[in-house]
Amino acid sequence: MAPSATTDWPSPSEIGDNALQPCFVLHKALPRKYEKRSKEFNSDEDESSYEKLRSEAFNLVWSRIETAIKDVLKHSTSHLFKELHNWVHESFLAIKSSATCSLSEVTRPYPLLVDNLCRQLFTAFVLTKNIEIVDDLLTFKELGVHLKSQGCHIVNLSSHEFSVKHGIAGCFRSLLRQLVTFASNTPDISILASWYSEEANYDKPIVVIIEDVEQCSSMVLAEFITLLSEWVVKIPVLMIMGVATTVDAPRKLLPSNALQHLQPRKFTLGSPVERLDAIIEAAFVKPFYGFNVGYKVALFLRNYFLRHDGTITSFVRALKIACMKHFSMEQLSFLCKGIIDEDSKVWEKTCQSLPEGLLKYAANISSIKRNNIDGNVGDALADGISELMRLRNNWSAVVMCLFEVGKYGKIQLLDIFCEALDPSLPNCKALKRCLEEGKDHRQPLRRDAILRDSESLNSREGTFIAQAVRKVRDLPSASLHQLLKFWARHTEEIAEVNHKVQALLSTFEVEVDGQVVKQEENGMKRNPVSQRLPNMEKDKSQVAHEKAAMLAISMIRDYMVPIESSPFHEIFCFKHVDVLQSALIGDPRKTIQTDLLRSHSYLQCSCCSASLTPSMHDTSILYNLAQEHGDLINVHDWYESYKAILVGSSTKSKAKQKQSPTPKKRKVTDEPNRIEEASIQYPFLLLVP
Amino acid sequence: MDTNDGDEDEFGFSRNYFLAKELSGSGNKFSKKLSDINLVDEQDLRAAVSCLEFKHKTEIQSLINHYKSLYPTWLFELRCGFGLLMYGFGSKKAMLEDFASTALADFGVLVVNGYLHSINIKLVVIAIAELLWDQIRTKRKGHMSNMSQPFRSQTMEELLDFLDGSEFKDQDLVYVVIHNIDGPGLRDGESQKWLARIASCSQIRMIASIDHVNAPLLWDKKMVAIEFNWCWYHVPTFAPYKAEGVFLPLILANSGTAQTAKTAAIVLQSLTPNAQSVFKVLAEYQQAHPDEEGLPVNQLYTMSRERFLVSSQLTLNSHLTEFRDHELLKTRRHGDGQDCLYIPLSSEAIENLLLEIS
Repeated sequence: MAPSATTDWPSPSEIGDNALQPCFVLHKALPRKYEKRSKEFNSDEDESSYEKLRSEAFNLVWSRIETAIKDVLKHSTSHLFKELHNWVHESFLAIKSSATCSLSEVTRPYPLLVDNLCRQLFTAFVLTKNIEIVDDLLTFKELGVHLKSQGCHIVNLSSHEFSVKHGIAGCFRSLLRQLVTFASNTPDISILASWYSEEANYDKPIVVIIEDVEQCSSMVLAEFITLLSEWVVKIPVLMIMGVATTVDAPRKLLPSNALQHLQPRKFTLGSPVERLDAIIEAAFVKPFYGFNVGYKVALFLRNYFLRHDGTITSFVRALKIACMKHFSMEQLSFLCKGIIDEDSKVWEKTCQSLPEGLLKYAANISSIKRNNIDGNVGDALADGISELMRLRNNWSAVVMCLFEVGKYGKIQLLDIFCEALDPSLPNCKALKRCLEEGKDHRQPLRRDAILRDSESLNSREGTFIAQAVRKVRDLPSASLHQLLKFWARHTEEIAEVNHKVQALLSTFEVEVDGQVVKQEENGMKRNPVSQRLPNMEKDKSQVAHEKAAMLAISMIRDYMVPIESSPFHEIFCFKHVDVLQSALIGDPRKTIQTDLLRSHSYLQCSCCSASLTPSMHDTSILYNLAQEHGDLINVHDWYESYKAILVGSSTKSKAKQKQSPTPKKRKVTDEPNRIEEASIQYPFLLLVP
Repeated sequence: MDTNDGDEDEFGFSRNYFLAKELSGSGNKFSKKLSDINLVDEQDLRAAVSCLEFKHKTEIQSLINHYKSLYPTWLFELRCGFGLLMYGFGSKKAMLEDFASTALADFGVLVVNGYLHSINIKLVVIAIAELLWDQIRTKRKGHMSNMSQPFRSQTMEELLDFLDGSEFKDQDLVYVVIHNIDGPGLRDGESQKWLARIASCSQIRMIASIDHVNAPLLWDKKMVAIEFNWCWYHVPTFAPYKAEGVFLPLILANSGTAQTAKTAAIVLQSLTPNAQSVFKVLAEYQQAHPDEEGLPVNQLYTMSRERFLVSSQLTLNSHLTEFRDHELLKTRRHGDGQDCLYIPLSSEAIENLLLEIS
């Protein structure tokens, strides 16, 4: 059983045997209790059943989001995988055509003597564009799976295996272990040769994938390359190496005798920012998985990605914590299950059958508190959720339309997404100005306004959306035509907007069809400012541009309602940025020091205050004193100060009474008896280490 | 509780090197020695323990009780696949074990005492595997009879494969509580690598505590983001580090006279009678000539030979090496350039020591 939380000083008998064991079983599972709980769960009244529902809802929602993210990542790498597969195929054919080697020759225990050209290893350098390998671990793992499915033998090696400590034997042993089922511990290449000569393994390329080549020991890697290159005719090995920095890195890493054995080719992975945009689109904008992040949380996640380490892995982890915290904190979050199933009847029924406690909770949700609910809370909740869903779908359609524009102006979806979530967006100055300009489309956009907006591009003000709207006006006709087609697709569910887009598209096609082709052929681009000079006559295509910009503005104004402005949004929207931050980034260095400096605020006792008093926690006194002394602390002074705090008030008064002239004399006079001294020294000595 | 009011400024002043220099500018700072403190013997210290009462007992207890309201949240997060990492000042041992006993009663719980100096990770993994195996066997009576698991003969990889088994159900979980995952026995990269592998197994959920301010430096990106998957919790308890501090030596206490004489006596008693006698010769000389630098080696040899304690310089040297190894003997240069031997203990300690060994 667990020891009780007593707070006396230790005595040997008090510290149980378990505390001195490296590990011990606290208790085993109790099956009876488990069954009992399962039965209890059938009762609707039980609060734990709703907790279980929330847990299930989290698993469902997160599995959907995770699948969406995985699909996006898979899609982003599919092109590269295809290219690499073609390269493997071509390289294998090249090896085979350079020197023929019969099955019997492969098993002979020495390499074939061939000219230098045939002793080169085909090597693919995959530039990861990311200094953190953690994102690419999964990519290389999946690359291995992909190539294996295409009939290659795959070996995944990490930089740990190319260490000086283990030498060439370490990496070669790992290679053998992955290929040969019953590999002995002897790192002998003839084992690999005889394995390759087996009927099932012969005539397939062996692809060795090294995730982070720059972390490998150059000596061991060079030796490995030289060894494999000698055998390349008999054992066709191809190498795929992940390079985090530049394509020059292998040249700097490897000696020339190893480099001459490489036949390199460069491949490039997509940058994490591009992948992140695709993730945001797939997981948070397009479909609704029953979970959304609030504006502040979105900003935090954006900054965490940009300033922390720029890895997708960290971003996804932060997102998962946000999702988990939401389902842990929000009592009604389980209602998202009905939304995922897209069956309004399900959540209507669930809302109406909620227990009294949850209905009361729903009535007190801050977003609807100001508008008192008349009548049944369950019905109001169901209606509110339906309305929320409608608003959210409209919002996502407009954001997707803006993102399509952003692609032409290289505006990131993440920025548009964050801005579109801002509940104060309608009050945003830059956006207001942009919208007002749109009211009178005959009035041209002033040059100073353009400059002013571009200056505040990186500020928190809503300039990304304003910039996107302006971009609509500046697009070449062909691009605008393409953009309208995308808009038509995204606004399918908003009939009014879709009708306008279709009308614009048809007018646009009729009016500027000839011009579109012409401009495309000539590669001409519109000059945004000169095209809008007041004294210049507007042609028909400009009218179409203005109409499209107007449409964008009306969409933003009428349909892009941030989720945090909708009633009952708390059920699906996570807004607690401080909770996320504390769960994601523990800061023991600062926090433990704060604990000690402010012990009284945690303990909430009446006896202590911000100043040093004898009643304070001993470690707290010592830490405060250490802070006062600075970095160069003298243990003697420290102890004396500590003692002075503990017995200070009484000894001071005694000292005054006795008027003792010298410190030495005072020391003798004030010295407590041995037990008292010990009671001061023991905590001091115990705490100082 | 106000957790966010710790300003950077609070720490800024203390980190200021110049301020520290200024404070120490009087020059008296280092003139005071530890010996000026009237150090109490360790035995007296231990005796005083019984009279001591820990401060703020009630407040600490109510603080710990307050954390009990977080148990359902912690359980929820563990169920969601996260690990819990507790930090903040004060021992979290009792709190974590209480959480495991109350909220995790449906599952097997293994506790690892990371504050101990030597922990065999493989034994920990074997214990986890046995616990999981036992749990599954109990739950599915008769369904797994064809599987036998001699865990002790398996490699780490095989054991981790078992813990990461896809054939298990979601409820087949074992919770591992690690007190002081940053403790001395687990502070190396190899141990942390294995712990991260354990934490990433599908059937394992980990709850750990840290007390070192730099503990996060133990982990790389992969461990943090993929394997441990921590959800941090700031839970200062201000409870004493009873078990955690039991093996930490008391600073200063070892320099107490009684303690030093006792340890020296233990060392000497393990040596031969002749070696003890050589030490006695040196000790007596030092007591008789307290103002001298020490006893020159050749003089010690002559004195020892006269008393038939050593037959050659070689034998004496072997004794002296033994003394030096146990820090019972040191050498310092005499004014005339001669090396002198001396015992680095106070005269009181030497007196006690001579009494002890005679």
